[in-house]
Amino acid sequence: MNNIKTIDDYLLGNTAPGDTLLFEAKMLLNSDLREDMQHQQHTYSIIRQYGRQIIKAEIKAVQQALATEPQYKSFMQRIVNLFKK
Amino acid sequence: MNNNRLLTVEMREAFFTALYKKAFPAVGRHVARMGGSLEEAQDIFQDTLVIYYEKVTSEDADIVVNEKAYLLGIAKKLWLQHYKAGSKNQPLDDMDLQVAADERPATGKLLHYLETAGKKCMELLKAYYYDGATVSDVAAQFGYGGIHSATVAKYKCLEKVRGTVKKNSLRYADFIE
Repeated sequence: MNNIKTIDDYLLGNTAPGDTLLFEAKMLLNSDLREDMQHQQHTYSIIRQYGRQIIKAEIKAVQQALATEPQYKSFMQRIVNLFKK
Repeated sequence: MNNNRLLTVEMREAFFTALYKKAFPAVGRHVARMGGSLEEAQDIFQDTLVIYYEKVTSEDADIVVNEKAYLLGIAKKLWLQHYKAGSKNQPLDDMDLQVAADERPATGKLLHYLETAGKKCMELLKAYYYDGATVSDVAAQFGYGGIHSATVAKYKCLEKVRGTVKKNSLRYADFIE
């Protein structure tokens, strides 16, 4: 599994302090490791964007349900009324 | 480990519906008072819920005593930023202080590629890293025999996606039309 787990632990803050120092020293000496770490960091940012995209779609679906389902009609009407000038 | 894992679409639907009922009228009232539209209130509230979701599913989530006041606070802040920016489409990333300063360009294309080519891995990684699922949650949700095989799968997926990210950075042009 090469360095995936080590970098995962490091980036998620699950590395013991002594090992963190050691790992950072290794990164200084090893540009491949440094690059892998950067790519992995980018991977987490992509996973977060993916997660956000899905959560936002789920939230929009809830909003859509509130706007259309009969049991929420009076609830939504009260909100719509707030915007009537 | 946090106890706020909202692992299924149904659980999240119930969670968000309850928050709409609890806090959307107050947010709507605020936006209306500030001269905003219903659509703006809805946009602001969507982003508010994304931020709140990320907070409650994060490992170091504190307990929020008054959810309604908390959500209204986020929404007011978002409204202020939206109002200052004068743009309806200011992305959430700009508003979220927790985001690493490391969002690179061309990520949209890469993400799109990963969604189609590696959907199962993305789902698994999302469950673990974004929704805050534990490895045993992941095992149950994705049908692995146990914690060990789910852990292996998680690292394999991470390796696969990281490989794609790496390839993308080397051959940037492949992901541009």
